[in-house]
Amino acid sequence: MFTVRPLKPTFKSYLPPLQTDVKKSLHPPVKKLEATLLPGEIVVNEVNFVRKCIGAEKSHDDLWGKLICTNFKVSFVTHEALAQPRFQVSNRLLGEHDIPLACVDQVVTVNDAKGKKKVLGSNQKLKFNPSELILYCKDFRIVRFSFDEAGPEGAKKVCLAIAHYSRPADPQLLFGFELIGTRYLGSSEDGLNGARPAGGSQTPLFACSSDWDREIKRTGAAEWRVCSVNQGYGVSPSLPEFFVVPASLADQDLRQYAEAFSGQRLPVWCWNHPNGSALTRMAAITDPLQQKRLDQRICNAIIKSHPQRGDVHKADLDKNLPSLQQVNNSLVRLRHICVIDPFEETEEKWLSSVENSQWLDYVRTFLKHSCDVVYILEGLNASVILQEEEGRDLSCVVSSLVQIMVDPHFRSLSGFQSLVQKEWVMAGHRFLDRCNHLKKSDKEESPLFLLFLDCVWQLMNQYPSAFEFTETYLALLSDSMWVPVFSTFLFNGPKHHADTMHDFLEDKKITLGEGEELCLPPVWDWSQQLSVTDQALFNNPIYVGKAAPYAHNGAVKSFRRTKHKTWSSTLRGAPPSQTGWSSTLRGTPPALARNGLQGSQGTLPRRNSLAAQLKSDLFPVRDVPESPSERFARDWFSGPADPQGLLLPQLLPSHLALWRLYFLRWVPEAVIPRGGPVTAVHAVSQLAHEIETLQSQLRRYKGPTPGSTPRASPAGGPPGTPHAEPSRMFFKAGSLYEPSPPPEFLSSSFPFTPVGNLCRPNLRGTPISKLLNGAKTWLSTETLAGETA
Amino acid sequence: MEKHPAGPDGPKKAGDPRRPSVRAPGEALDSPAGSHVEWCKQLIAATISTQISDPALSKDSDGAALDDPEKFQVQVQLKDVALVTGESVQLRAQDVMYICPFSGLVTGMLTLTDYKLYFNSLEREPPFFLDVNLGAISRLETINVQSHGEDSRGLELVCKDMRSLRFAYKKEADQPELVDLLARYAFPLCKGLALFAFQYQEDFPVNGWTVYDPVMEYKRQGLPNESWALSRVNSSYQLCDTYPSLLVVPTCIPEDDLRRVAAFRAKHRIPVLSWIHPESQATIVRCGQPLVGPHDRRCKEDERLLQTVMDANAQSHKLLIFDARQSSVADTNKAKDGGYESESFYPNVELSFLEIPNIHVMRESLRKLKEVVYPTIDEASWHSSVHQTHWLEYIRLLLTGAVRIADRLESGKTSVVVHCSDGWDRTPQLTALAMLMLDSYYRTLQGFQVLVEKEWISFGHQFTARVGHGDEDHASSERSPLFVQFIDCVWQMTRQFPAAFEFNELFLVSVLDHLYSCLFGTFLCSSEREKGAQELQSKTKSLWSYINSQPEEFTNPFFVDQEHHVLYPLASSRHLELWTGYYARWNPRMRPQMPVQQSLKELLGLKLELQRKVEALQKEASLCDRASPPPHQGAAPLRTAPTCT
Repeated sequence: MFTVRPLKPTFKSYLPPLQTDVKKSLHPPVKKLEATLLPGEIVVNEVNFVRKCIGAEKSHDDLWGKLICTNFKVSFVTHEALAQPRFQVSNRLLGEHDIPLACVDQVVTVNDAKGKKKVLGSNQKLKFNPSELILYCKDFRIVRFSFDEAGPEGAKKVCLAIAHYSRPADPQLLFGFELIGTRYLGSSEDGLNGARPAGGSQTPLFACSSDWDREIKRTGAAEWRVCSVNQGYGVSPSLPEFFVVPASLADQDLRQYAEAFSGQRLPVWCWNHPNGSALTRMAAITDPLQQKRLDQRICNAIIKSHPQRGDVHKADLDKNLPSLQQVNNSLVRLRHICVIDPFEETEEKWLSSVENSQWLDYVRTFLKHSCDVVYILEGLNASVILQEEEGRDLSCVVSSLVQIMVDPHFRSLSGFQSLVQKEWVMAGHRFLDRCNHLKKSDKEESPLFLLFLDCVWQLMNQYPSAFEFTETYLALLSDSMWVPVFSTFLFNGPKHHADTMHDFLEDKKITLGEGEELCLPPVWDWSQQLSVTDQALFNNPIYVGKAAPYAHNGAVKSFRRTKHKTWSSTLRGAPPSQTGWSSTLRGTPPALARNGLQGSQGTLPRRNSLAAQLKSDLFPVRDVPESPSERFARDWFSGPADPQGLLLPQLLPSHLALWRLYFLRWVPEAVIPRGGPVTAVHAVSQLAHEIETLQSQLRRYKGPTPGSTPRASPAGGPPGTPHAEPSRMFFKAGSLYEPSPPPEFLSSSFPFTPVGNLCRPNLRGTPISKLLNGAKTWLSTETLAGETA
Repeated sequence: MEKHPAGPDGPKKAGDPRRPSVRAPGEALDSPAGSHVEWCKQLIAATISTQISDPALSKDSDGAALDDPEKFQVQVQLKDVALVTGESVQLRAQDVMYICPFSGLVTGMLTLTDYKLYFNSLEREPPFFLDVNLGAISRLETINVQSHGEDSRGLELVCKDMRSLRFAYKKEADQPELVDLLARYAFPLCKGLALFAFQYQEDFPVNGWTVYDPVMEYKRQGLPNESWALSRVNSSYQLCDTYPSLLVVPTCIPEDDLRRVAAFRAKHRIPVLSWIHPESQATIVRCGQPLVGPHDRRCKEDERLLQTVMDANAQSHKLLIFDARQSSVADTNKAKDGGYESESFYPNVELSFLEIPNIHVMRESLRKLKEVVYPTIDEASWHSSVHQTHWLEYIRLLLTGAVRIADRLESGKTSVVVHCSDGWDRTPQLTALAMLMLDSYYRTLQGFQVLVEKEWISFGHQFTARVGHGDEDHASSERSPLFVQFIDCVWQMTRQFPAAFEFNELFLVSVLDHLYSCLFGTFLCSSEREKGAQELQSKTKSLWSYINSQPEEFTNPFFVDQEHHVLYPLASSRHLELWTGYYARWNPRMRPQMPVQQSLKELLGLKLELQRKVEALQKEASLCDRASPPPHQGAAPLRTAPTCT
């Protein structure tokens, strides 16, 4: 399939090249350096005696090795180990120094002597011999290789190959297809990393009607139905085959209406509030003649589906939110101040630069808008239509944020994953274009998904015990966008996915047998990328969740169907489960789950009388009168927050912080050695692990006596799970009752490391590099696992 | 124990509020300290939550009360304030309006005591309550409140703790003027009265005055040793009246020489040891600037003293002098008889300026900061507004300087001399921070108290002048928030190393609140000599008595003791944050919704309960004589025993 390329894969290059002109003493003995290849991965070009810059110019810490470009990644293979400590969570698909081609944003070649520099694109020529290669990556890394001892021709070839292969002409050329193709054709017997192709994930993908049915049941959306009118994508090319519509709309009507909508995207249901209000999204109506009539019909149908016939409100996202281009430009600016501009120069005016990037502004705008929608659903008991021209960009962010704020199910790991599946992947977000995987047009590129993750992080930052997962999870999820083997981030919608798959099978002349299926795995198959030990990095030790009213854990429970008045009290007052809190690790009793402030507890009952309060007026203390939704939020904030209830973010600019782990993790100067929030996580994890251990001890004592006490639900598992349960904690308590100090390898970048990344001149000699030199070496997760076991 | 007044079911004490009587004997508090903790907690969050409470709501529930003053008064009377021992009510005024910047007008009762001003109102649900330490008041101003009625008077309390409170009230004939009374108790020193700390009569189970014993502290550091001696040359403050009586100086320097050095150093503050590295013997030495003057005066004894300091550390043949000032300022000082050590007269000495601006710049910066955070957060351009105050920039300078000092000691094994002009402002900021980085003892609850007592109080930081206790001269150019800056730096460090400090944010906020409160004697004087002369130890209580009576309130549940571990905070703008939990805490919208520490305390409680259960079962099991060994080491002694309710 790569025959289009001018470069032929050469197997000669496996052998160490004859380099007579190289002084032997400079290099370690030439051992055979080979790339570790995945099934279907081939070496395109490689060059030996390359120096990976670790510190700065001509540093002693630099590594010598071979730079290889394959059809999947840029690989650097070396026999040397880093002199500096390093803890980098290892991706099973990638080696320590590897970068997937899809992650490469810009390929820059430099010739120092001639003072030349060129940004390489696809199929380009390079008129000078590069002395240096700098790769700017989409995940904010910057990696530098030096060719001063490498063969000039080989170096040039590798640079050109990287530039070329990082811009595939067709989605089929993304490595994931090569991988499954090879697998299918029998060259590798088992799935990747032992995982079955498509199996192993508990996350509902919402590709079949039963997933939607379950979601309807869970949220108690009785007046809504799954419709299969788009099966085979006959109606809309960007909607999923199954989606949910008001029960009062017949398939025939839908077929008829579809034509009037942009992209034939009919209004679809996202989620139901427990009070019966529905969250829906809809594309613009393109036919002006039909606009009014159609609008009316849709609204009527939605009203009909509301148990109290609640009103419908429209939220015009295009009008109220920044455009895709604005969001993209903002990230470009942020990238500049975070990783490209010299560190010291940006120090002085850091705060102003952050403000100028507008990134936090946009984060705030999206959160604010989502809060307004929450207010309509919760405070006004009305349904909401998120309206957007195409209905597959901004509305993905808003609808998922709304659901995370209101429904604690989506704050669990599997709930969150199903949300991304439901509101992004199946809703037809153009991941391929927005990620710009093919690097065809920069105009379409927009980091909306990253913006969404940042918004989630802000919520997480304000409500640390409300989420089952950690910020590390969010960062790793975001990085997975640039590993092009997962179906999740490679397509512009479900139909595009299906079509590409179909074309691929045809091109490859693969005929699938009955019941046979060939598909790319979703990213939710985490064991493809991470070891079981490392997946424990996802778990938030202070999550308060499973004892919640609508815990899901395996068994899907339905929402408690409540009339609108009791909603707040059910959630914020005493949850029905009154199991002794002493027996559940992460289920704290309601009284204690509150922040325990005296003055605020008395405010609880007031929440029920929300409507009454909204009527009354405020003293005019501000020039701008408070909007009802601000009023609603302010009222909510006057009481304690329940991590399993509604969560509203605080939205003053002073409340929003830069997501340092994500944006600064590769910046060596910005690392706090042995510090950062992770040291707190470390301490709590140990505590949580001790509690797990104690609980299992208790069970062992209580176990043999039948009917002694109802067995406590262990952390993270449904009652009655087998005794020996692996700890959910990444950090484990050393010896019982003795908390250990944070290990040397912890830093504010953990589990990532800037060592070997983003090396700019002038780094050496800073206090940081000195500090890093002093500590012990941690090479991989496996070392750690062995140590803690 | 008395409940917090703001609590929804707070005590409903009857009694005539008009009578400015002292508290009835029966009202003695079982655990006064406990109520103070509540008060502190409230400072962090709960006051704020009441401020946000909805004024309109009351119209629905007891709207009649507003129209019927009598009925309203009855309600207000039910709500009384909790006084500390020794505190007495001086004035009560009904129908005072508090002009809340966050939720509008609220009418209620104002109570003035000799320690605090209280305001409470039952107009709102939950009842509105706020109080101000009179010591925190920087200035009193009358404001125009004509809009609230003809004979209304307005009063603004501008506070040192970043808030400004505005009240409107009607003058009643039979009552003394509120402003006069307030001024009398807020600025007692100007009216010939004593500070409230001298009336405060609380009995604490522990005595905080004993926390710091210089001999013990130097012994902990391994002093005296062969190079360094504990000297009594200043035993009655004859050498330097702002230094403590016990000084650590090189063994081989005769007292006469020290006197000559004293004459050569600003305010006679000679170079003395503050801290010694347990392994390398490198030291932190502090002093005032040398009085070099425009003609490059020299002092042989001073040169010899610094040479001896260098020689005392065998690991290095250099001595580093960190002058905290901006080099230009140091030059100006030189022209005015001050100056800095010349590298040509002091061999092997390396001098660096840390370029930290003076106290006036810092005062101005905090003033600007107040404009940004109080009463409302500048929404449109928050980051650039904060940037323009330069507050964080100065925090960065301080931390950078301290990191440099710590790094030279730890990695360079070189002794360091630190001074500014007089050696009592920027010097303690830097030495105390460096010591906090180098010595894990100072990161414990007790150790931090020792650090403050030693580097700040005993070495003569001018608390009286910098804070202006009981003084109405709010415009004094001697005032400056240097200690606040120091605590801010400590807070920044706790943010970067959440598991490295035994104390929590509440502790830091409490320390700052009592810096101003004048409730405790701890921060009242400017030197050890003054402190002795005023008999603070016998006549007032120590803040540490109060803190150490309930250490669990002030401990950080994340804390993991890391002995001998040096902390290097990252003094980068990227990691420094504005401490909104202190500066912007009066804004109800800044209240944290879900403090992590609470969840953690719950986890700790849960762990203890489980441990108890496991132990009980193990006992049971061994009684049943199952003959099987108990699983694991479940009965190991508990290391931490925080109580959790």
